[in-house]
Amino acid sequence: MMTSPWALILPLAAGTFTIRLSGALLGARIPTHGRWARAMQALPGCLIVSLVAVSLISGGPREWIAGLVAALAALATRSLPFTMVFGIAAIWLLRHYF
Amino acid sequence: MAEAPMQDSEDSFLTGAREIAPLVLGVSIFSIYGLAYGLLATQAGFSPLDVAGMGVVVFAGSSQIVATQQWLAGAGALAALIAGLALNLRILLITASIPDVFAGRPLWQKALAAHLAADENWAMLLQRRAKGRVAGFRYFVGGGVAQFVAWGCATTLGAALSVAIPDPKSLGMDFAFTAAFIAIARALFRGRRDLAPWAVSLGVAGVGLATGWIAAPWAIVLGGLAGAATAGFSSDDD
Repeated sequence: MMTSPWALILPLAAGTFTIRLSGALLGARIPTHGRWARAMQALPGCLIVSLVAVSLISGGPREWIAGLVAALAALATRSLPFTMVFGIAAIWLLRHYF
Repeated sequence: MAEAPMQDSEDSFLTGAREIAPLVLGVSIFSIYGLAYGLLATQAGFSPLDVAGMGVVVFAGSSQIVATQQWLAGAGALAALIAGLALNLRILLITASIPDVFAGRPLWQKALAAHLAADENWAMLLQRRAKGRVAGFRYFVGGGVAQFVAWGCATTLGAALSVAIPDPKSLGMDFAFTAAFIAIARALFRGRRDLAPWAVSLGVAGVGLATGWIAAPWAIVLGGLAGAATAGFSSDDD
């Protein structure tokens, strides 16, 4: 008999919820003026940039080129769905034909 | 819902649920991942009920996948747990970055919105705000519920059917969220004052990961924090 999956699920759930709620409670305690406010206003963009950087670096040249295509699509169209479509099409073509 | 004026159409539950639609593309991708995850979990000895329960109480797709892969590989519950939780550290910054969503809400609503916090509804909220439109608690929860249902159904179905489905990666779907984040970065860019913080984020996350100095989950968190700190310490007030 294998260990019950709940030996993993319950602590993962508890830990994940703690992380989520901690952020919510922490965010409320950060001052809304001065340096802290500037940092907090910049945080979403910086986190997005980090996510993109990690995602692209975890891939290879195909992902980098597709990332460039998506970036150009984002600059040209300023549209989320179009950027996604161009990005997916680019990575699909690159992976299948190059 | 009685305390809030219903004619506030901008920040509404339904709008939140509907406007996650660009990510319906997302939902279908989710479904593929969800089905794939269900199959993986079955291989790891999870019943469909286990999978449904996990989706409800954990609700963090990538950490569910990674933790289950570790579990399946025989790494043990602790190693699987640590791998899954590390991946979720970024959610702390996600919920911390939107204090107004939680402000003034009773604890149960804070807990609800926190539990539903994911990359996608957070990203959609930012995207909407970048367009100068209102998005708050209800928008965030609406998007989260849409995702919660899609993810729960797809993973449970995947476990119940246990059918092989196309590899999401071969369809290019693993790139969908990267492309979405690129579009959102474009929308969030506030001009010159973002250059230094973004360069620092890119540098810390990118160099840290590329040199093997830090693992991906930490690279995301440290990159985000380093960029925000740069913005905090800049005296640039344009």
